[in-house]
Amino acid sequence: MKLWSSYIKELKIASRGFYFYVELFMAIVLLIILLVFVQENPVSKEKEFIYYNVPELIKQIEMHREITAGRMKLTEPVKLTLKAVKFEITDEKTGEALSFYYDEEKIITVDTAEIINPESGKLEKTLFMMENKEDLMRAALSEKSMGAEIRTDLSGTVYFTYYLQGYETERMVNLLYIISDNSSDRLLQQIEQQNIRTLSDEEILNNRQNLLPLFIVFTGSLMGFFIVMAYIFLDKDEGVIKAYAVTPSSLWTYLLSKIGIIVTTVVISASIITLPVMGLSINYFPFYVFLILTNFTFAALGLLIASFYDSIDKAFGVLYLVMIILMIPVFPYIIPSFDPVILRFFPTYSILNGFRDILLNKDMTYVWIYSLVYLISGFLLLLIAKYRFKKTLTV
Amino acid sequence: MIKVEGLCHSYTNDDHYAVRDVSFEVEKGEIFGFLGPSGAGKSTTQGILTGLLPLQKGHVVVAGYDIRKVDNKRFNKIGVSFEQSNVYSKLTARENLEFYARLFDVETRAPEELLQLVGLSGKENDRAGTFSKGMKHRLTFARSMLNNPELWFLDEPTTGLDPAIAATIKEIIRDQKDKGVTTFLTTHNMYIADELCDRVAFIIDGEIKLIDTPKNLKLQYGKKLVDIEYFKGDKLFKETLKTIDENDLMRLAEITRNYQISTMHTKEATLEEIFIQVTGRGLA
Repeated sequence: MKLWSSYIKELKIASRGFYFYVELFMAIVLLIILLVFVQENPVSKEKEFIYYNVPELIKQIEMHREITAGRMKLTEPVKLTLKAVKFEITDEKTGEALSFYYDEEKIITVDTAEIINPESGKLEKTLFMMENKEDLMRAALSEKSMGAEIRTDLSGTVYFTYYLQGYETERMVNLLYIISDNSSDRLLQQIEQQNIRTLSDEEILNNRQNLLPLFIVFTGSLMGFFIVMAYIFLDKDEGVIKAYAVTPSSLWTYLLSKIGIIVTTVVISASIITLPVMGLSINYFPFYVFLILTNFTFAALGLLIASFYDSIDKAFGVLYLVMIILMIPVFPYIIPSFDPVILRFFPTYSILNGFRDILLNKDMTYVWIYSLVYLISGFLLLLIAKYRFKKTLTV
Repeated sequence: MIKVEGLCHSYTNDDHYAVRDVSFEVEKGEIFGFLGPSGAGKSTTQGILTGLLPLQKGHVVVAGYDIRKVDNKRFNKIGVSFEQSNVYSKLTARENLEFYARLFDVETRAPEELLQLVGLSGKENDRAGTFSKGMKHRLTFARSMLNNPELWFLDEPTTGLDPAIAATIKEIIRDQKDKGVTTFLTTHNMYIADELCDRVAFIIDGEIKLIDTPKNLKLQYGKKLVDIEYFKGDKLFKETLKTIDENDLMRLAEITRNYQISTMHTKEATLEEIFIQVTGRGLA
């Protein structure tokens, strides 16, 4: 009863305050961005740099075949600026490292072509056909893209040399081996070693849906974490926390009512974003369970941090630091080829992947395991926050 | 109702005590004044008694509860009015009182009745954020009476109030005393202490200098005085003379004989003057 009264009081205060509407406004803005500015299947901006180290005739025949099949379309040459740069390339097979140093910027004109999906007719990537290996390496480095050298021997066997950035996943490197290695023995060996995932049967999210987990984490976990701190500091500023402390109501009631209002706000804002995009295509039970438990944890973390400070100004440093740390797993989510193992230990990493699994209607084991992890961590954080609050109440 | 023995408190957890070896008892139904200047240790003592500050050293029993043993139920018997108003500014006056009323396990008073008592009738549905400082203070005061407390902690209850409202608040405190409520009154206002308190304690630099009734203090330390204004030629002069001092009495006779008296009246030493006399310090 006391918890319910406290929750209703928090709801009244929130609905008459600023932060509640900031969160809802943010959700509406993000929804508008998703629906208006994010195309479901956008035009690809992927670039690939290729150096055909083959006789010109073979190159022309190969390109003609692709153009005739509707897989390639030649486009206007473009100017590329290759910066002055120093880098090192390591051969993955031999381990041999070569250093390169270019002390002058260079502007070159490059032939380009668009690689088209013959079924959908949509652009998959833009091909830049480089004139030599050095330009290929410099361009790939400058544009942070993959470069490939294609060459043949006298028997006509095609060989590929890929120039990667160094942070690509092992899975991607193996995939390149499989795609480009002509040796059947090697291929069989690779197949035995690989955990093959059947991509064709797997549902994929369109671009708009793929952004949803990011927006949910932003309006949910991160905003919830920030707003719960703001609520605590408002209470400290008004001194009502002391008035609460001299009633028979427990500190648990106070803290849980704060978490309750945050979770309510997050459920509303996440629904505003998710329902119009996903409709009824997903199972909302695990969605809301996961949403509530992850936000419970982040709200508890916000409470814990707030217990160390008496004003939001003093807490801003820590607040920003935590928010930046929590935002880092956004990168492997957006750029799957960048996936350092350490980022898997960041909480937002599992939240993003959990929501993606839910949106993909995948097996929910991952989601339930992490729901339990967040329930336990949230409770532990709340326990410490309660202990801290008890210590830091002052006259 | 309150028993304090050897209470010490340090904010820095060392020998720099904000409160040092404080001991006193407050009887049931008594209004006990805790008097001292800012920083004397009044709020620290009240903070410990109300559980807002941890008990570091000493023994404290409040409303029958040993405060070392945490039990929030004791707040069903206790009311606390803070010096700094602390109400939810986004809630109305009624919502503020209704919310806190639901936190108690005992029967509570109707918000409207309390608002009327402190002169906030007609403001029930106004948000506390729109209230003046004095109105917020009255709302905080009204909140402290919600649970019909047996023990009432009042911290500067008339600060910032106009004289008419301050008189109403003092009347309420007297009424509560008549009903048997014990009041622990923290203030640096000696006039309100003089008017209301059965006993007062003078605290300075964290130590209690003396505890007694205002009447006894005046008998022990007070001296009857005469303020006299007289004309000497065209100029007006003013003197304060003690009625128990032979020289002053002779001087008084001389003035009345030789000069034209403008005003003359007797007065008692105030509690503030006694405080200064006992502690050697003012209350500012």
